[in-house]
Amino acid sequence: MTADRSVLQSNYPPGDLAIWIFILAELTVFAVFFAAYAFTRLQHVELFNEYQLTLDREAALINTLALITSSYFVVRAVSAIKVDDRRRCVHWLLAAISMGLLFLIVKTFEYVHHYSEGINLSSNTFYMFYLSLTFFHFMHVIMGMVILAAIAVMAARGKYSRQEHTGIESGASYWHMVDLVWLILFPLVYVMR
Amino acid sequence: MQYQSQAVAKPYFIAAIALFVAQVLFGLIMGLQYVVGDFLFPEIPFNVARMVHTNALIVWLLMAFMGASYYLVPEEAETELYSPALATLMFWVFLVAAALTVAGYLLLSYSTLAEITMNKLLPTMGREFLEQPTITKIGIVIVALAFLFNVGMTILRGRKTVINLVLLLGLTGLAVFFLFAFYNPVNLVLDKYFWWWVVHLWVEGVWELILGAILAFVLVKTTGVDREVIEKWLYVIIAMTLITGIVGTGHHYYWIGTPEYWQWWGSIFSAMEPIPFFMMTVFAFNVVNKRRRDHPNKPAMLWALGTAVMAFLGAGVWGFLHTLSPVNYYTHGSQITAAHGHMAFYGAYVMINITIISYAMPLLRGRNAANSAKSQIWEMWSFWLMTISMVFITLFLTGAGILQAYLQRMGENPQPFMVVQEHISLFYWLREIAGVIFLIGLVVYIASFFVGQNDPEATTAN
Amino acid sequence: MAQPFTKIMARNIFYGGTAFFFLLFLALTFDTMGQLPQRDNRAALSGELGPVIAQGKLIWEENNCIGCHTLLGEGAYFAPELGNVYTRYGNSTDAIKGFIASRPAEGIPGRRSMPQFNFSDEELTAIAEFLKYVSEINTANWPPNIQG
Repeated sequence: MTADRSVLQSNYPPGDLAIWIFILAELTVFAVFFAAYAFTRLQHVELFNEYQLTLDREAALINTLALITSSYFVVRAVSAIKVDDRRRCVHWLLAAISMGLLFLIVKTFEYVHHYSEGINLSSNTFYMFYLSLTFFHFMHVIMGMVILAAIAVMAARGKYSRQEHTGIESGASYWHMVDLVWLILFPLVYVMR
Repeated sequence: MQYQSQAVAKPYFIAAIALFVAQVLFGLIMGLQYVVGDFLFPEIPFNVARMVHTNALIVWLLMAFMGASYYLVPEEAETELYSPALATLMFWVFLVAAALTVAGYLLLSYSTLAEITMNKLLPTMGREFLEQPTITKIGIVIVALAFLFNVGMTILRGRKTVINLVLLLGLTGLAVFFLFAFYNPVNLVLDKYFWWWVVHLWVEGVWELILGAILAFVLVKTTGVDREVIEKWLYVIIAMTLITGIVGTGHHYYWIGTPEYWQWWGSIFSAMEPIPFFMMTVFAFNVVNKRRRDHPNKPAMLWALGTAVMAFLGAGVWGFLHTLSPVNYYTHGSQITAAHGHMAFYGAYVMINITIISYAMPLLRGRNAANSAKSQIWEMWSFWLMTISMVFITLFLTGAGILQAYLQRMGENPQPFMVVQEHISLFYWLREIAGVIFLIGLVVYIASFFVGQNDPEATTAN
Repeated sequence: MAQPFTKIMARNIFYGGTAFFFLLFLALTFDTMGQLPQRDNRAALSGELGPVIAQGKLIWEENNCIGCHTLLGEGAYFAPELGNVYTRYGNSTDAIKGFIASRPAEGIPGRRSMPQFNFSDEELTAIAEFLKYVSEINTANWPPNIQG
């Protein structure tokens, strides 16, 4: 890979095309899942409204803020590497990861609460969707954190620079997707009535 | 042929084609039994014919996968095969085991076969596609391990290309998931749950890696397109395959006693399974359009493109047709399943194996690149005969299945199974006729190996 | 439009994506294993008739019944579904036994017929009890009606 390649080529979309194919596929799965939720809810509005009240909206709001903040940190990390500030870049990435960790902790408390009430995937249709969607997303947060950690390590080792930072942009794009999905999931499952 | 040891692939390919013939003949017997119920009864009851039909298919596909691996792995690794002798030995072990097993199916009653192979010690027999006696299953594991060792050592010793690594990954997965064939609890739901880990995770999982690797190899060789480009797309396609296909296993967990959330998980993920097949079609045509040279072996190219199209139709479209749980509720275990099974296996796995055989056989038989023009014409005729008749087999079975689901499961007065079978017998007759044409296509295919042998090789000018 | 598209990234997505979705599949499998006791009628297996049902399953397998029939929709499509045959035959194991025992050895001219397996009464009981056990598995209301 030549050093000036990223200068010569268009920078849109940012990151590797392969990650965009992946992101598109992931968004498709989530979109179908959301659509399935919406259609099923139409048939069981009462049930969905009733059990929606058992969810912890404060926790979900904290998590929304955590993910938005983390996305902001990731943006700062990308800006930092664009001016060759590797140290800052790594720090911002670590900050983003810790926000992800906060999300996981809060979400785990929610799950523990549900679990102690004996709720599982087979309890009813609402919980099936709630648990499926949030757990699927939960795993994506873990995946996103692994990716962020990987690029943080590479950044610390000096693999990225002002000219070549496709890897960071790819990871950042993925993380924004994880955030975006939550921004749809939160109102759809927790708030909308 | 660049390496001497690639020659061990030849007996594998020949045995594969011979078993293919057996498979089709027994398919025709079964097809006739569908309409002439007492045909060959009680000498060859339907269940025996079906066992030979499906087991011959599985064994010949495995044989051809092994042949393909022995052919392409040395060439990719740029080194001789680790042990050609082991490969030849394993060929004979596998062939004899397969022949004995089929002889056992045909000459003994199944329960006698179970008794003399001591099935009671470790009962694994009598489950669909895994009918082989336990001892045969152990034999398959041994052959597979020896094969993996041989191929793995070759790859370790030589150049590590993406094609080789993906192929090795697929073959390893094949061996690993086969181990679930030995798990057979009394609890039927558990039995079925993990039975699918062999069947589904094979054909909609690891086998697709093998398919992708073989297709990529043939495209690299015949089109001269940059390996980097092909390997990159290979990764993307197989990534999509496993991303959709693994959780897509859930489309088998709708009605077998498993929790009902599988109806959602299975529907959503398996609905995505056509995507990688579609990508494969687009990819194959793109690569061929961007070819840097015209390879004289035209049939190989035809089979390669045919694989991409027919796999998409058979596995992708016909799979999607009945994968959503509300649809599957009415079609589960009907002729729709049979329709999908036929076109998917033909389109994906039969055709990819014929692709590599078509590419490699002329070289293994001492040609420089391709068969004579005459032989190629015969082979291309066989392509169209087999492929078009398979399309019709699928369409007739689909018709039968739709009518069956309607009469037996949807109407005001659902009718008993056997009554419905009478009503749809016309479709079975048509299917049998299409099956005969398929057999003719297969005969033409085999003939293509013998015609024009003394003619000069075809060149690109033709 | 010449954005980078590297083999390394494609490879990482393949390995990462595969690991991710396999873990997801394992998680769902784990949950399923926890739910099965409420659905799969395992009580029958640990009950008094447990050994009889186990024997029935073995006979089912060693005579390749799946080579013609479907069981919960899986198998061959040549002969009727048997997951609900117990209910179709009026909740009667005797009816099942009677049908199997009465198959003509030489078949029925021009028609499909089940082979005569010459089972003992004990074996017939085992098969019938196995099919009864299967009919009591919670299959989410499949098949759609009694005809299977």
